[in-house]
Amino acid sequence: MSRLDFNCRHRFRSGFEIDLAFEATGLVTALFGPSGSGKTSVLGMIAGWLPPRFGRIRLGSRWLDDSPAGIHLPTEHRQVGMVFQDHWLFPHMSVEANLGYGQRRRGSGPPIRLDRVVEVLELEQLLSRYPGSLSGGERQRVALGRALLSNPELLLMDEPLAALDEALKLRVLAYLERVVTEWNVPTLFVSHGQAEVRRFAQQVVVMERGRAVAEGSPEEALGQPTPLGWTRSAGPVNLLRIDEAKLRGDQWVGRLGGQEMKLPSLNGAISQPLFVQFRPSDVTLSLEDVQGLSTRNHVRGVVSRMLELAGGFFVAVDVGQILWAEVTPAAVRDLGLQPGSKVTCLIKTRSLEWVG
Amino acid sequence: MEFSAAEWSAIHNSLRVGLFVVLASLPLGLCLGYVLARYRFPGKWLVEVGVNLALVVPPVVTGYLLLQVFKPAAPVGGFLSRTLGLGVAFEFPGLVVAAAVMSFPLMVRAIRLGFQSVDPNLETAARTLGAGWWRTFFTVSLPLARNGVVAGCVLAFARSLGEFGATVMLASQREGNRTIPLLIYTLKDRPDGLASIWPLVAVSLLLAAGALAASEYLERRGLRHESA
Repeated sequence: MSRLDFNCRHRFRSGFEIDLAFEATGLVTALFGPSGSGKTSVLGMIAGWLPPRFGRIRLGSRWLDDSPAGIHLPTEHRQVGMVFQDHWLFPHMSVEANLGYGQRRRGSGPPIRLDRVVEVLELEQLLSRYPGSLSGGERQRVALGRALLSNPELLLMDEPLAALDEALKLRVLAYLERVVTEWNVPTLFVSHGQAEVRRFAQQVVVMERGRAVAEGSPEEALGQPTPLGWTRSAGPVNLLRIDEAKLRGDQWVGRLGGQEMKLPSLNGAISQPLFVQFRPSDVTLSLEDVQGLSTRNHVRGVVSRMLELAGGFFVAVDVGQILWAEVTPAAVRDLGLQPGSKVTCLIKTRSLEWVG
Repeated sequence: MEFSAAEWSAIHNSLRVGLFVVLASLPLGLCLGYVLARYRFPGKWLVEVGVNLALVVPPVVTGYLLLQVFKPAAPVGGFLSRTLGLGVAFEFPGLVVAAAVMSFPLMVRAIRLGFQSVDPNLETAARTLGAGWWRTFFTVSLPLARNGVVAGCVLAFARSLGEFGATVMLASQREGNRTIPLLIYTLKDRPDGLASIWPLVAVSLLLAAGALAASEYLERRGLRHESA
C-alpha cells in the first residue's frame, strides 16, 4: 500500500484550479515545478489548512480528507509535520521550548527522542538561545527538529532550502539526508531546484499550472520534455553520483557506474557517495573515442532521449545514470545523433564541481 | 497633602472602576479583537461600527441610552435587580458600565492591532505540531500579541479614570458614589472649590502617567527576546 494517496480538485477564487492525483510510494517524494504551479497549495491540503472543494487524501491507513464522506480531519490530528520555507519558529520561546512544543509519543514505531535529534542535527549549542539570534541554517535545523519531534507519519517540506544561500543549502541538505536515513520518515518536499530533487528524492511529481505533467523517478520525470521550469532556467542540471572516490597518486578518481572518472581535488572529510555537478554545455559529444586530448574524462553511453529547447538540443546520454549534453542543431545533424546512438561524452575535470 | 473622606472615596472609586472595567471587558475584548484581526465574515463592518460607535456618539447621549436600558423601570434594569439584586443605574455598577462602554473601542482596537502583528503562519505551525485551537491561542497568539493586549488594558483603565459624560447620566449625585471627575465637577461650584480641587488634579495626572509608564515598561521587557 502506498504511504500517501492524493486525489483532489480545488478551484480558487482567482480561477486558478488544482486538479491533481498522485501516489507517493517511496520514502522521499518531490513536488517539482515553477513557482505558481500550486505546489504549496497541495501541501496545504495535506496539512489540512486548505480544505479541497473535492478530494480524498489517505495517509497510510487513515483518511485525512474524504469529501464525499464528509471527512476533514483538523490539522492538529493529522500527524503531519511541516517545515516551512521561512521556518516559523516561535520567537517568544527558546530553541528548547520550540523543540518541545509538539513532542508526542503517539504513532507507530519507536518515538523520536529529543537527545537523538539534538545530536543528529547538532543543536546542543543552540538550546538556550532564541530564534531571533540564530542564523538561517540554524533556524532551518531547529524547525526540522521541531517537526520531527512531533513524531509525524509524514514530513512536509515547503522549499526548505529556498531562503538559504548556496553553501548553506548543501549543508542543510546533508542534514535532511541524515534525518531521512536515521528515522525513515516518509517525506514530501516542494522544490524548484533540480539538483536537490535529483539528489534527495526517489519519486518526483512535476507540476505545471495545478496539474501533474510528469511523474516517476527523478531521471524519468525530469527528463521528459514537459517541465516548463526549464525554459526559465538554463535547462537540466547534471548531478551524477560518484562511488569509491579515492586519491591515486596526485589524482582523485572515482567510479561512475562501471567507468572511471578523474575528479577535482577533495579536501576535508569524505562521506561516500559523493555527487558532482556540471552544466550540459560543458559536455562535448563525440562518435568515436578520440585520443590525445587534454580533456580527461571520456564517458561512454547511449543517447536515450533528445529534447529541443530554446534553439538548442539537450541530449540525454545513458551512462548508467542520465547525463545531459547541450549541443547545437547543426551538430545533431552532422553527427546524425538520434536515440540509440553510441557516443562518448568528453568532460573536463575542471568543469566538475563537488556537491555536499 | 491631606485628603478629605470624600476625596479618598472618589480616588478609591475611580481605581475600582478602572480595575473592574478592565477585568469585565477583557474577555469580550480578546474575543472581538481576535475575530476582527483574523476572520472575514459577512456583516463584519456592522460589528466594527457597533464597537466604535461610542467613540463618535456624544458621551452624554451614550449615557442617556444606557440610562434608558438600565433604569429600574426598564426591562433590562428591572430584570437585573429582580434576579441578581443588582442595581446599575445610580449605583456603583453604573459607573463601571458607563466607563466600560466608553473605553471598549480603545481596548478592542489595541488588542486587534496586537493580534494583527502576529503572523498567522505561526498559528498554522502550532497546529501542525498537534496543538488545538485553544492551545494555539494561549501559547502562541496571545503571548505574541501581549503588547497590544497590555496597551488595550492600560488605555481602558486610563480612559475609565477620566470618564465623565456618560457616567454623569448614569450616576447619582450621592456622597460616596463619586469618581474623581464627578467630585471635581461637584467641587468647582462650591465657594473656594477651585482651590480645593488641585490635589485631585494631581492624583489624576499621577495615575495617568503611572499607567503609561507601566505599559511602556511591560512593552520593553517583552521586546527583549524577539528583537535579539
